[in-house]
Amino acid sequence: MPYFKTSQEWLDHSVALLEARPSSTRVTTRYSIKPVKPRKQTTTSSGDESSTAPSGPRAPRGSLVLKTYDPVSGVTLKYRTTKAAEVTRLMSAALGRLGKAMAGIQDVPEETMQDADAVETPQGEQTPQQVATGGGAGGGGGKKKKKGKK
Amino acid sequence: MSSGHLSQDEFFDKLGHLFNHRKSSDHGAIYLTQKRLTYDPSEQSTTAKLFPDLLPDKPLPIIIKATNGKSKRDRSDKEKLSTVVQPHELEAFYVRYADVCKAGMTLLKPRDKSKKKAKAKKKKATS
Repeated sequence: MPYFKTSQEWLDHSVALLEARPSSTRVTTRYSIKPVKPRKQTTTSSGDESSTAPSGPRAPRGSLVLKTYDPVSGVTLKYRTTKAAEVTRLMSAALGRLGKAMAGIQDVPEETMQDADAVETPQGEQTPQQVATGGGAGGGGGKKKKKGKK
Repeated sequence: MSSGHLSQDEFFDKLGHLFNHRKSSDHGAIYLTQKRLTYDPSEQSTTAKLFPDLLPDKPLPIIIKATNGKSKRDRSDKEKLSTVVQPHELEAFYVRYADVCKAGMTLLKPRDKSKKKAKAKKKKATS
């Protein structure tokens, strides 16, 4: 279950998986909210233990996980983000492109995306995508690719 | 999914409610799924049966589902939505979809400029 570092990598592999298994592959977006645990105070001097009084109520955090899953071959591709700046692009451009691939529309225009904080990374890291030619070949696709040193 | 699919307007409306409901609590999740909507394969010829999905004669609709992730224990609280998007509607659908999601996913981190600046500075120093 590889998590990809960039949404572009995730999208490239997901498109490849969809091309190989267009009917069984599904894309799930999970938006989850988790409460942030208040930091425990290290001082034990206070006698009252029942009041764990946090310094202030911290807002719960949300995260977004995009998952491409093919139940037949068991391939799972994931991308996780917590940045609001990525939502529109992911939901519209990335899922839209995958939606077109699902629908069987052939001429899918190439779109490139960058993560919000990956703008400064050199373009050389955008390795040419490995297209999964068969259904099974997509299985290890995520793990083969190593990113260049930072 | 015996409940039938919603129209897109209804779907977006209810999806908005789903997100709003989530806003008031401090935990939980919303699941959105998209998948090709396949038809009964029995009507296809043998060759088409072998590789029915690789060469569809015409674009197929896709189905979008949304749930609040409740199952079994809290079945009564479970909310399920689904809608079917025809191929020619995809573009318009995803524009609205992204808008609704952007509006609903309020607990993600907003763009942090100070961090970005620090990163850029660091990079300059190393190069």
